Order: sequence, then C-alpha cells, then structure tokens
Amino acid sequence: MSWRGTLTFNKYISIAARATRSALKEEQRAIADKRGTVTLKWQTWKEGKGTVAEWVVPPVEEAHK
Amino acid sequence: MSAVFGRAALRQVAGARSFSSSPAPQATLRELEMRIKSVGNIGKITKSMKMVAASRLARAQNSMKYAKAYGAANNAVFEQSEAAKSEAKVEKILYIVTSSDRGLCGGIHSSVAKAAKKDIEQGEGVGKEVTIVALGDKPKQQLVRGSVGNDVALSFNQIGRAVPTFNDALAIADKIESEGINFDKIKVVYNKFVTVISYEAAFIEIYSNKALAASPSFAAYEVEGDELSGDLASFSMANAIYAGLVEGYASEISARRNAMENASKNAEEMISKLQMSFNRMRQAAITNELVDIITGASAL
Repeated sequence: MSWRGTLTFNKYISIAARATRSALKEEQRAIADKRGTVTLKWQTWKEGKGTVAEWVVPPVEEAHK
Repeated sequence: MSAVFGRAALRQVAGARSFSSSPAPQATLRELEMRIKSVGNIGKITKSMKMVAASRLARAQNSMKYAKAYGAANNAVFEQSEAAKSEAKVEKILYIVTSSDRGLCGGIHSSVAKAAKKDIEQGEGVGKEVTIVALGDKPKQQLVRGSVGNDVALSFNQIGRAVPTFNDALAIADKIESEGINFDKIKVVYNKFVTVISYEAAFIEIYSNKALAASPSFAAYEVEGDELSGDLASFSMANAIYAGLVEGYASEISARRNAMENASKNAEEMISKLQMSFNRMRQAAITNELVDIITGASAL
C-alpha cells in the first residue's frame, strides 16, 4: 500500500514531518510544534467570483470543562 | 492683530475674484487645539508601529537568509539540466503572487500585482493559458478586480502574521496540486529584498515535471522511474513558494518600518506647523483684547 495516488508528495512529507516532530522530547517538541501549525485559509475563484474562505487545517475545538 | 484683520480685509478687497461658493471658515483656537492633539496621537501610533516593525526585521532577515539557501539549492537541478532550453512547449503558466493581508507598508502589494499583470499582458504570459494563485488578501483584491480577474483560480489568506514556515508552503503547494491546476511552468512573483530601504518585484521560475524530463541535460541524472522527477517538481514548487513568502515577508517588514518612519516625521512636521499658527493666533487674540480694553479705558 503506497501513498502514491492518494497523497501528493508535499502532503506525504508534511505528514512525515509531523511524525518526526511528535517524536521529539517535550522541550524541543513545544518549539517544533509552533513551526508545524498551519493557520491558512483558502478559497477558489471562478470568473472573478470567490467561494467563502475556509481553513486549510480546521482548528481543533477546545474541550469545554 | 494684523493677521486676523489682514486676512479678512484681503478677502473683501479681492472678493470679486473669490471662486469658492462658501468662504473658508477661519479655524478657531479650539479647532486648532483638537487638530494638534489628534495629529499627536497619530504620530504616537505610527512611531510604535515603526518600533514593532524594526524589532521584527532582524528575525525576518535571518529567516530569509536560510530560505534563500533552500531556493538556490532548488535551482541547481534546473540549471544543471538546462531546463530553460527544454524541448517541451510552455503553453500554460501558473503565476503565484506572494504578498500578505495587511496594509500600511508602502507599495509592497501593488508592486507584485503590477509585475504579475505586466508579465501576463506584455511579457511571457502573452498568448499562453494563464492561471493565478494569490497569496494574501491585498494582492488578491488587486488582481481579482483588474484585467486578469478571470484568471485567478485560488487564493489564500491569513498570511503575513508571522515568519512563514515551510509547512505553510507545503500546504499551499499541496492544495494547488490537489485542485488539479495544470501548468508547464510556474513563476512565483515576490518582493526581493534589495536593501533595508528598497525592494523590487522579482520572479522565481520552476519547471514542471514534463519540462524537466524533456530538458537537454536531464539525462545526466540517473533517475529510476518517473516518480522521482514528479516528486522533485512538487518539492521544487513548495521550495519556491517558501523562498518567495519569506523574502516577501522581510521586504514587507522593512517597507512598513520605512513607511511608518516617514509618517511619524510628517506628523512631527505637521504638529510644529500647527503649533506655530496656534501660538500666533493666541497672541493675536490677546492683543485684540488688550486693544479693546485700552480704547475702552480711554473713552471713559
């Protein structure tokens, strides 16, 4: 089972990077995780009209106590 | 005294030549005072924005140094395999315009948007199928409303808040590919950091898988299977986007610092000018009162 065909190469290496980051020790991991968060929003355009902007990585809802 | 009477007298004498429908109101002391206060506040804001930008500049320049190294390494493959002389025809070009969401940074956004438009309408994009991806709200607004509005396919925002990470570039490149945008060549338009006080729009060129495979010296690389060159093309795109984003960020920070410095200087000049006319007016009012008192006293 390969990742080819389902994932793009860039998606593949970003997942690999995430796995590497999560293997770090606590202190280094905190610093590395800041580099890992993606807070972009995107939208598609057709003939000058755009869709509503959506998060590329949807933010995780904080669990309310 | 002469200031107040002089101006009104002049206007009456020259009344026949006055073109305004309503005469300009004479600013009262109260109004001038408020203006001085508000300009002072604006000056404070621009000064603090300048400080913030100056403090961010060092870090931005540092990141830029490393990002450029990535971009240069990326370029090595294209140069070695002479992709510019590739036999594959270039019919579809993807322009990735990198800037950011925020303003108050001088001509940063219009610089990239104009450069992209110029290349599309008069440069390499003439007669080709052009797609545009806008990174940042400001260039997006300029491009969508312009003559190339129909070519915009994707746009991203929330860019420019912090130093761009490679992860951002990967996410953008991944979305571009998964949205199925076809291209033979990519041109990343960004603001090149020339000096701390100047920048200029520049291009990074990336060749597609097809173009690379048809390059004259590509055969020198012993590549097993087609997959590797496809992976390379994808990775190159992410690399170029990263380099463009980071250098664009550094240019923007320095431009914002310069713009806010100019604004603070202008605010200071304005305050001193207003202060002068305020003092003159105050003294004129006092003199008038004195004259009234004196003439009134002599009438008794």
